[in-house]
Amino acid sequence: MDEVELKLQLERAHADCFGWAMACCGRDRDDAEEVLQTVYLTVLDGRARYDGRSTFRTWLFGVIRRTAASERRKAWLRGLLLEREVGIEKRGAGILAPNPFAPPDAEVEHESRRDGLRHALGHLAKRQREVLQLVFYHDLTVEEAAAVMHVSVGSARTHYARGKANLAAMLGDAKEL
Amino acid sequence: MMDDSEIRQRFAQLREADQESAPSFAQTYVRTRARRSLRATRRVRALVIATAAAVVIAAIGLAYARSLSPPAATPEIATWRAPSDVLLRIPGSELLGEMPALGASVLDTMIPKPSNRGI
Repeated sequence: MDEVELKLQLERAHADCFGWAMACCGRDRDDAEEVLQTVYLTVLDGRARYDGRSTFRTWLFGVIRRTAASERRKAWLRGLLLEREVGIEKRGAGILAPNPFAPPDAEVEHESRRDGLRHALGHLAKRQREVLQLVFYHDLTVEEAAAVMHVSVGSARTHYARGKANLAAMLGDAKEL
Repeated sequence: MMDDSEIRQRFAQLREADQESAPSFAQTYVRTRARRSLRATRRVRALVIATAAAVVIAAIGLAYARSLSPPAATPEIATWRAPSDVLLRIPGSELLGEMPALGASVLDTMIPKPSNRGI
């Protein structure tokens, strides 16, 4: 695949890739963007080659997952975790601050539902979170999700079933409150 | 218990929100290219620095090795002859190079003996 074709394929999958990068980076937008840039660079430089054994999107998701894991390790090695925690605290303080431009009620409800899902996903085990994101968010089959996660299909099915049950329980609890 | 369709719906809302806030492909691609050229520049710079360091280290190593080795040039200097030595040769210099024997004349070597003339 030449660079023009690669660029075209990346452009087609871009929005989906961003969502997956967000999931792999703990929903941190800046980290997700950086991971995506690194992935595009890796693909365009030919350091990661598509071999046609799966769909391009499935393969790309695998590259994003590995890159995000590698970036996380690097960040940990640099001792940036502390700084990140400080950043999250600051951001948290920003969320709690009163917003003079409050959105209408429907939007507030949507936002609250999204927050509920994000919160519940954050409490799931990594594998469970990944498989649910791939199946429900990206509409992949469990088999494709297993290929992205580099686990067996049986293992992916187990993570899927457990993750779905845990998520449903958490979202159900939140609904009752 | 929540069913699949409700979970799917919630994920769909999350996806919509993400797509609204996602950077455009063009934007990401431009940043990627910028990083690519920056990386190339860094690589060239690293290569130049590494080459310069290697040259300096090699030069220092050579100089050190030379300072440690015995003066091999000394015997060569003892046997060395200057190219201008030829100018020091003067007519009759062979006479000065030998010790004259007692009872012999310098002329013996220069004037042929009568017997040699066939008299």
